[in-house]
Amino acid sequence: MIGILQWTTLAVCGVVTLARIPSALRGQNRSLFSIFALMTLAILLSIDAPYLAVDRALGGMNIANLVLRFVIFAAIFFLGLRVARGFSANDALRLITGPVGISVAAAASLVVIAVFLMMDTAGSSAGLVGVAAKDHRNAALVEYYGAAGRLYPAFITAALFPAMVRTFRSRLPVLVRSSAALLALGTVAISLSLLSPVIPPSLGFLRFVFNYTAILCLVLGLCLVWIAKTLAVRTPKKQANFT
Amino acid sequence: MPLPAKAFQLWLHQVAPSASTADICRISGIKRTTLAQQLVRGKVAETTLVSISRALNLNPLAALATFEHYAELATSPQPPTPAELVSQVATMDLLRAVISRSSPAYGGYGDSGSSLTPGLGPAPHATSVRNWVDAIDDGELRHRVSAATGVAPQNYSAQLTANRLSPELAVATSRAAGVGFTGGLVATGLITEEEAGWPPGAKQSALDALSDGELASLAGERLQALGKSLRRQEQEQAQTEKIWENLG
Repeated sequence: MIGILQWTTLAVCGVVTLARIPSALRGQNRSLFSIFALMTLAILLSIDAPYLAVDRALGGMNIANLVLRFVIFAAIFFLGLRVARGFSANDALRLITGPVGISVAAAASLVVIAVFLMMDTAGSSAGLVGVAAKDHRNAALVEYYGAAGRLYPAFITAALFPAMVRTFRSRLPVLVRSSAALLALGTVAISLSLLSPVIPPSLGFLRFVFNYTAILCLVLGLCLVWIAKTLAVRTPKKQANFT
Repeated sequence: MPLPAKAFQLWLHQVAPSASTADICRISGIKRTTLAQQLVRGKVAETTLVSISRALNLNPLAALATFEHYAELATSPQPPTPAELVSQVATMDLLRAVISRSSPAYGGYGDSGSSLTPGLGPAPHATSVRNWVDAIDDGELRHRVSAATGVAPQNYSAQLTANRLSPELAVATSRAAGVGFTGGLVATGLITEEEAGWPPGAKQSALDALSDGELASLAGERLQALGKSLRRQEQEQAQTEKIWENLG
């Protein structure tokens, strides 16, 4: 079940990235293409087999996991900028690019690196499961590490949340509003995934559900905007008129 | 509330005893699946009844009045008020009337207007529902309709903005305002002015009866509302384009 969710997410992301290549080559919204590419890379690195392959090449110290965190940070930062500009969320834009946003990014990065260095990270293991299994100290550190890694994405999406809700309640085209709803749902999922450390092991599957729902919602939400645009270009809608 | 399917079938049997459902659908232009679905659900839309009545050369208003919910339609038909009639004049026709009354230097014919002015377009027009409600509203009408029907004021307003109003609400609005029942049914486009029994030229004479001052203020209000709605549409368009530009 979790495997299906993981590979589906990867497939969706991969397809969207490939589908954007032509427009990226034409020079339209290259940064959006890189956001999708980064997201695909992030998902790839969170699945066992690809992770092990990459991490072995990087020395078997789970550095791939650290890379994964910063790939996510970068993707979410650029995504936040794009969404904030697109949805005219000047408040969110100020929050993300202003001193607050930079401090949160710096703090999250420092904590992630610090906790990573404190762990005994030898031995490749996706999701640091192997590291957590070593002893109690490492297990606790892995939880903090995960929480720190989610802090920044949660901050960015939470900053955008009001704009998403505003757009959803507006009277813009249905596809645009649905995409805002999906992005808002993704935000909720990311925020819920912050709770991972306190989710009891018996409900462990919830962590995966939150993580991959978040990514799927974000990707599908962005896709909808794109589809809406393509449709609108193809069938020019009636402009406001005097009738 | 749509018409109960049982009563509808009884009516259909009375007016067209020998016609099959397929015949009815063919002559009235209703899709067979649509009618079948409405019958299965037990709720037949008023528009269905109107289409079938027209196809059978029956007066839709009279047909509607045979149903329990709309029985009041048959009682003492009250003609539309002049304000209701004017509300069914399209904004552009109203503006044309302003110009028509202006001095010849501006392309008009002077105070009395002229028979050369093109005739008024048929109701309903693009904002006919809201204009109709505004024409009969004494300031408390929306609250009374809401209290009588249980429809929340914001849902009612949303229907007006979309230039829609269910036949049931249209009748309830007429009742709450104490005007004739045909005004709302015409404004929502359920029946035509002729089917409602409005004399031909009733709108034109109501329009002609307006003083220049009344006409100018009314045209001004309509233009203001039009400007507001156009500006909103333009803003939404600009917002959408911005989203596409950044995320599409």
